[in-house]
Amino acid sequence: MKIIHIILVSLLLGMAFNSTSHAQLKVETTTQDLAAIAKAIGGKHIDVNSLTPGTRDPHFAVAKPSMIRRVNRADLLLVIGAELEAGWLPSLLQSARNSKIQAGQSGFLDLSQTIDLLGKHNVPVSRAMGDVHASGNPHYWLDPRNGIKIATAISQRLAQLDPANINDYQSNLKTFKAGLEKKYQQWLSELSYLKNQPVIAYHTSFIYLAHAFGFKIVDEVEPKPGISPSASSLGKLIRNIKQKKIILLIMEPYYEQRSVKYLKDKTGIRIAVLPQSVGAKEHIKYYFDLFDAIVKELNNKDSQ
Amino acid sequence: MSQRQQPLLAAVLLNGILLMISSSLHAADKQTPIEQKLRDYERRISQLEKRQQTTTNTNSSSLQIGLSGLFSAGASNADNKELAKLQGGGHDPNKNGFTVQNVELSLSGTVDPMFDAQANIIMLIDAEGETVVELEEAFFLTRAMPGGLQLKGGQYYTEFGRRNVQHPHTWSFADQPVILSRLFGGDGLRSQGVRLAWLMPTNWYSEFYLGMQNAKGETVSSFLSAEGEEVGGHTLIAREARGSGDLLYSARWLNGFDLSDNLSMNLGLSGLRGPNASGYTTETQIYGADLYLKWQGTGARGFPFVAWHTEYLQREYEAADPWQANHETLRDKGMFSQITWGFTPGWVLGLRYETASASGDTSTDPLRDNRSRISPNITWYPSEYSKIRLQYNRDKAEHFKEDTAQSLWLQVEFSLGSHMAHTF
Repeated sequence: MKIIHIILVSLLLGMAFNSTSHAQLKVETTTQDLAAIAKAIGGKHIDVNSLTPGTRDPHFAVAKPSMIRRVNRADLLLVIGAELEAGWLPSLLQSARNSKIQAGQSGFLDLSQTIDLLGKHNVPVSRAMGDVHASGNPHYWLDPRNGIKIATAISQRLAQLDPANINDYQSNLKTFKAGLEKKYQQWLSELSYLKNQPVIAYHTSFIYLAHAFGFKIVDEVEPKPGISPSASSLGKLIRNIKQKKIILLIMEPYYEQRSVKYLKDKTGIRIAVLPQSVGAKEHIKYYFDLFDAIVKELNNKDSQ
Repeated sequence: MSQRQQPLLAAVLLNGILLMISSSLHAADKQTPIEQKLRDYERRISQLEKRQQTTTNTNSSSLQIGLSGLFSAGASNADNKELAKLQGGGHDPNKNGFTVQNVELSLSGTVDPMFDAQANIIMLIDAEGETVVELEEAFFLTRAMPGGLQLKGGQYYTEFGRRNVQHPHTWSFADQPVILSRLFGGDGLRSQGVRLAWLMPTNWYSEFYLGMQNAKGETVSSFLSAEGEEVGGHTLIAREARGSGDLLYSARWLNGFDLSDNLSMNLGLSGLRGPNASGYTTETQIYGADLYLKWQGTGARGFPFVAWHTEYLQREYEAADPWQANHETLRDKGMFSQITWGFTPGWVLGLRYETASASGDTSTDPLRDNRSRISPNITWYPSEYSKIRLQYNRDKAEHFKEDTAQSLWLQVEFSLGSHMAHTF
């Protein structure tokens, strides 16, 4: 009996503790990129957390119990959408039993809805094509211009949920937008050597980056999205690299590097391992940092 | 849909007509207002097309449909009759040659703001070659009950331990642990009823489940199961539920902790209590503890990872024969411990060890004898939607005269349709 009392009392205390910190909006995001942009807009008015770390491929996250608890208490959930989180978000939303953040509610914001997605398939998609997202390529945060669209949508939603601080959200957005527009011009000029150049990517995740900086992704190391390269597919790639005189291969840090090293040995192609997300490396804390790091890596002509 | 397409169609037609007019006029005069009008129409068409695309994207029905098929081929030094006893799970590969383990049609979605619902219909081909169709699960779940509560009702797997609720396509091994087959029967513990789950307002993940279900049927084999069969030498009688006291009650307390960014742990305790068909007042109690520890690195596709899953189960089965004074409590216990190592994207090595035993003289009873099994395996996932697995079982069962049964199973699985959930 005593033990039951102790458990009940401690649970009640736990509830009391949790209800004291209600000053800030609790915002959960599926990736660190969204968390970084939300923080830039929400500032001190929001408490923002990313459900997955930037060191991981967000497509392959799992709905861990700790996430259920966090989503259960969230006031706003920001997601990338376009099927990126298809493997874990539906079950997470079901387990979290929080009516505020279900799709269609004001506490749920799918940012892919605010973006003109690239790589849409208007013909029926077959899985024989590999892991193709029919509704468009979900890696859109890698275009800084989309960062502005994301920030605008977040600012509007925060203003809707917390009208008392609307001025702060709007002025933060203005600062963010002006800063990013200026930086974008700087990044463009730093990467001018890449303009119209053919480039190879490991996975189909850099089409927005290519779009933003004017280079062309002509082939991928994966023969089909999500399918590991084979000896014959690498052979084909080597011929392609030599024929089209491709000088650069870009990839995320979490893919294996054995096949790209093999490509490098055979063709001398330069390999740039690009951070794909805020948090992919410890010093990448803000959305601006991400492109600073990417541009630095792309300009680092002695790398690998 | 068709209504929405009409303006688009009309606009396309109009555009075609205007194009013809304009090309005929173009030769005569280069700067006509028609050209400007044309540009205007083109802009409007592209706007319409854009709207069309966004509506088709958001229009997708919330019904998720998936079909998974699980097949195996294998060989063993035990004959098919023995294999049927050794491989006690309803979805286990259980004969020399080919087995259709499980073909599962899964339908799920959101009903309305109040409810989610799910149904799993399975088909399999049994040892006699008969096709069996079963309504494995069909249940609703509430979406927005206050206070962290969630109600589930219908036909569903009882939340007991971690393994019982897993569907065959998420298994890390080709077959079901021995102790689960013994206590819950070949198809896992599932029945009709309701359960309430409470996500507790603690600083870690903590959830409490309380349920009641019908205690009668083949899928609740430790309770009011099949008349005429035997448990520990006692013939089961026909016993009906006569009140709420004759239902199966279940409780589970599950806790989850993130020990670091890469390491997470689940700890659960479960209990069951219900009537059994050994006598008119006899009762069964089952307890279990489960531990799951997963380390996940930061490579592609969720690799590398190491996951350790251990469960211990124990049953106290009150047994009697009607009108005889041979009342006794049969005790069964067992555990399994398995470790899976995803060493490189797409490839997983696994090792499972299990034991099971029971009180009394059980040496000739294939459901209660001393048993131990060790199963190494290797699985290749060409994509998220298929897998190929090779598993070796080295099985020691007291009732099996040749002492050690050795089997090799090759398993292939595919899934079609909606994206399967990534299990933690």
